[in-house]
Parts: sequence; structure tokens; C-alpha cells
Amino acid sequence: MIKCIACGMPMNAKEDFACGDITKNYCKFCMREDGSMQSYREKLNSMTEFIIKTQGIKEQPAREAAKSMMAKLPAWQNKIDDM
Amino acid sequence: MAESKRKIQKELTRKHILDTAIKKFGHNGFVKTRTLDIATAANISHGSLFAHFPTMDDLMTSAIEEFGNRLCTRLHDEVSKKQSLPDILQAHLNGILDFEDFYTHLIIERRLLPESAKNTYIVIQSTISFHIGLAAEKEIQQGKIKNMPLHMLFNAWMGMIHYYLSNGDLFQQNGSIIKAYGPELLANYLLFIKST
Ligand SMILES: [Zn+2]
Repeated sequence: MIKCIACGMPMNAKEDFACGDITKNYCKFCMREDGSMQSYREKLNSMTEFIIKTQGIKEQPAREAAKSMMAKLPAWQNKIDDM
Repeated sequence: MAESKRKIQKELTRKHILDTAIKKFGHNGFVKTRTLDIATAANISHGSLFAHFPTMDDLMTSAIEEFGNRLCTRLHDEVSKKQSLPDILQAHLNGILDFEDFYTHLIIERRLLPESAKNTYIVIQSTISFHIGLAAEKEIQQGKIKNMPLHMLFNAWMGMIHYYLSNGDLFQQNGSIIKAYGPELLANYLLFIKST
């Protein structure tokens, strides 16, 4: 199974991939409007918002969880200590 | 050839340790279980366990991840089959049922767990909520269920399940809470969220 390198989402269908392009290694939720992959900071913000939206929890625990999740993903291996 | 064989063996041992850990955490809880208990139950040396999981934090976090992967894969499959909201909620219950003892200890002891384990729990719950939201979105648009914010839709559902699981001793002497009460919880939750 192919997983998005930036958020870990499984990508099965063509439309799960960024721009519907199956040669891309990141998903539609991890791309910018121009089709490029989001930066660490952008992804951390959107992941934090995602956690808040889905569970209604406070920003701080949401951000910690987002950081901890991203630290395990291939796209962010050199970015862990960025922030 | 020998190299890939070793790799496969290593992967199998890792999986065996995780399955054993999930059972042990389910029996004795996270806080009370020691790495030695897991190594003994898995029939491997304590050293071999540490070769795979250097710390108890790693082992707890990986066990929770394993549970999350199986549950979320199940929901992902259901959502991609374009199932209805009741189907997704039923799949969620079935996913918990497979790990009921483990999950019950997880929610009762969550605050006592290491940070990495707590963070993994949060990410799993968001993934579940997201899938429930995908199914709910359609039914909200069709006017079948109330237009509630996603986190309330999810937290109300979790509130019911977690209340029954964490107070399981009051609801059921022996056996599964999800089996005994799942159908009633699901049916009534659907009534609560139904458009009037
Ligand atoms: Zn992604």
C-alpha cells in the first residue's frame, strides 16, 4: 500500500494523489494550490487544525500530537527540530 | 537471500511481540505490565525484546499504533465503499470489539501514559472522527441528520462508548460490553442525531 510521505494517509485511488498524479508521493491534502507539497510549517498548522476540528481539543495538545505524528513520516525526517 | 530471510524473521518476531503486548496490556493494563511479563509471555528473552523495542514507551506506542492501524484501515475500507453513517459506526464498534480489553485500559489509563503514546492516541481518534465525518457529511446535506459540528458529532458518540467501557464492571459481569450494548448505543445515537 502506498502512503503519503507527508501525512501517512493511504493512497489507493488516483484522486487521493496530489493533482491526481500517481507518480507523486504525497496526497491531495498535503499539496498547495499550485500542486507542490506543503512545507513543514504549513503541514504542522493544517494537521493541528485537523485535530482541533475533528475532536474539539485545545491547540497545545493538538499541536504536540501533530508534531509527534509528523516526526515519524518520511517527508519530515530532517525537520523534527525545526520548531 | 539469507539477508531477506532474516528480515522477514525479524518482522515476524516484532509482530509476535506486539500481539503479545496487546494481550498483556489488555489483561493487566499499561501501567502494571512490565517488559519482562511481555517477554515471558512471548517466549523470548528480555534482551531480544529490547532489541526490537528499546524502551517500554516504544512498546506501548507501537502497540497503540498497531491497534490504530487495524481500526483505521477497516474504516478507510468502509468509507471507500461509500458506506452509510450507521455502517461506519458499526465498523468502528467492530474495530473496538477486536481489541476491547486493550482499548478499555487505553482510555482508562490514558493520562498516565508516556507522551508519545498519548499523542498516538490523539491522532487515531482524529482519523476515526474524520472518517465518521465523511459519511456524516452526505447525510447532513440530505437533511437526514442534524447539522452539528464534527467534533460534537464525534465526541457525543465517543462519550457514550467510553462511558460504557470505562464503567464496564457496572454494566456487565463478564464478557464484552460492545457485544452486549453496542446495538443499543448505535440505535439510540442515531436517534439523537436524526433531523427532526
Ligand atoms: Zn498527505
